[in-house]
Amino acid sequence: MDKYLDSRFERLEKALATFIDSIAKYNPSEKLAEDLVAADRELAAGLKELERHQNNHARILQLRQETASLDQQTKDIIGGLWNMRKEVKSTPATQYLATGPKYQFTTHELLNYAKRISRTTLPPAHLLYNSEPSESQQAGGQGGGQPMELDSAAQTPMPGSGGGGTATAAGTPAASAAPTPAASGPSGPGPVTTTTAPFSQPPPPPSANQTALPEDFKPHINLLTGYQFHPWPTEDKVRMGGMAAYQSLVSRAVDPKGYDPEEEERRKKEEEEARKEAEERAIREREEEERRMREERERMARERERARREEAERSGSISGPAAGAPAAAASSAGGGGRSQFTFLDGMDDDDDDDED
Amino acid sequence: MASDPMSVNSSAREPPAPPGSGADEPKYGGYTRFELELEFVQALGNPLYLNHLASRKLLSNPAFIAYLDYLQYWSRPPYLKYITYPGPTLKNLELLQQEKFRQDIISPDLVERLRLEGMKAGIDWHRESFPNTA
Repeated sequence: MDKYLDSRFERLEKALATFIDSIAKYNPSEKLAEDLVAADRELAAGLKELERHQNNHARILQLRQETASLDQQTKDIIGGLWNMRKEVKSTPATQYLATGPKYQFTTHELLNYAKRISRTTLPPAHLLYNSEPSESQQAGGQGGGQPMELDSAAQTPMPGSGGGGTATAAGTPAASAAPTPAASGPSGPGPVTTTTAPFSQPPPPPSANQTALPEDFKPHINLLTGYQFHPWPTEDKVRMGGMAAYQSLVSRAVDPKGYDPEEEERRKKEEEEARKEAEERAIREREEEERRMREERERMARERERARREEAERSGSISGPAAGAPAAAASSAGGGGRSQFTFLDGMDDDDDDDED
Repeated sequence: MASDPMSVNSSAREPPAPPGSGADEPKYGGYTRFELELEFVQALGNPLYLNHLASRKLLSNPAFIAYLDYLQYWSRPPYLKYITYPGPTLKNLELLQQEKFRQDIISPDLVERLRLEGMKAGIDWHRESFPNTA
């Protein structure tokens, strides 16, 4: 670049010198002047070129700097990655041993299951979110149970559980833990609790315009007093279930195998119905029989009547009909009295006939 | 309660068919074997019931121990999803496989501890799940 400019300077200087010489010799030439102008223009172009060159140079420098910084950045990143990798590799990872086989299930099944067990695994909200200890403990003391004193009871070494409840399944669950200090209520005459018991003082006497219930009444109207959440089937449930039914069958000396109370019930009902039907049929048959017998008797009675009447007609020529009729009535009453009283219809017929 | 005559041979080898399989199961007092065993295995979640079983000397009966071992099919599908008290049921079923637990559960202290801690865990578990709302 220097040479390039130098040559242009030289040319300009030469042109200027020759031009000055020519002026000094009082022999100015137009051609020389033009040469000078041309040399000057070329120099100006060269200077422009120089400027561009310098700009490029500056740009090159800038780019170099940029690459250097980027290189540095890359190196830093790679270094960081390397360190990270070393750290990750050296971190002791917890080894989850495969405790058992894994099973496939679908989200639908999972949600269904969650819905089904929510009733038996989720305590009611008042147990979960009620964190006022005094109220809950008071409720526990008054109600006889201990719904919320779990914290205190779990930490204290449970004085009552050893002697109080032998804790068979038949024992009441609340009895064994009742003598824990937390359970002594506000009105309890027992030992004065030296632990922090804010409700051990007697409640203030109710003023006249006080509408709120006294504190010690609250547990009595609270339906949830003494409620306990058990994450397992309670004794009541066990006693009401199928196992209890099984046991009761065994104790009644019934073999439960193949014994279905519903089936049994149905069978009994069917037998009952069959028996009733048989009875009804028997009754109907008897009625039918009686009807037949009655008709038979009526028929016989009518025949007898006819025979009697014929006889009366035959003997009518001898004696009046008034004398014959009572005799016939008396004779029929003596002979078939039982049938006459049993079948009143027949007798009516008889009388009617007589009146005729 | 709910225990067949105590001979090893009387215990069933195969788990009962789950409901809906269409098989016509024989009934025992009106209940299928599936229903009775489900009820029993869940009752095992109750520490007081375990104590009751121990007091009847059932937990040292070899046949009953074999039955407890057999009941482990409840910890696998397709039976697993019928258990509505999953935590205590499965935990106690697992514990009952241990000789020491079967001996110790006769102690009322242990029963009481199990009961209180089970109830506490049943509540705290949900508190831990939603610490902000508790």
